Amino acid sequence: MNEWEIAAAVLGFALIPCGAVALLSDAPSGLAALQLASVLLSTILMLLAEGFHRQPFVDLAVVFAPMSLVGSLLFARMMEQEL
Amino acid sequence: MSWRAVVAVVLLIGGGLLEAIAVLGLCAMRDAYDRLHYVSLAGFGALLVALAIVVRESFSLIGDKALLVGLVLVVTGAVLAQTTVRSLLIRELGDWRRRARERAEP
Repeated sequence: MNEWEIAAAVLGFALIPCGAVALLSDAPSGLAALQLASVLLSTILMLLAEGFHRQPFVDLAVVFAPMSLVGSLLFARMMEQEL
Repeated sequence: MSWRAVVAVVLLIGGGLLEAIAVLGLCAMRDAYDRLHYVSLAGFGALLVALAIVVRESFSLIGDKALLVGLVLVVTGAVLAQTTVRSLLIRELGDWRRRARERAEP
């Protein structure tokens, strides 16, 4: 394993607390956890692209970053009403 | 080990640490408003990781796209936090701007 794959693995484990907060806390805290997990996942995809020297992974990150923004904005908009 | 590899590893460790601090902050804080601060912090961690890739690969296809993703995450992190807090305020208080206008009118 090179340093990029190790960093991707460490950040992959960091997704677990985000999932726990999203599952166990109230809805607004879950939204914050979802947004943080999106940033982590984009970073993991960049790290995997560099670690494996596979350019398609960074394409996934390029697509995922704006799509996660749109999804989070939609969730935030829906959160204005009582769920 | 070349100086580029050393700088890339330092940036990688810095970015990873920032993201780890963001996750710790998310778990430690009790309120959603406090937790939202750490989304922007994680964006800066992603930017450091993207800079590490650029230092390692120079401005190649992977480096350019990684830098683009890092910049998008930094810019949208602040926008996302502000928008989410606004939505949560509307959820809790209703339309506070209308009440403020009514209070301001004589």
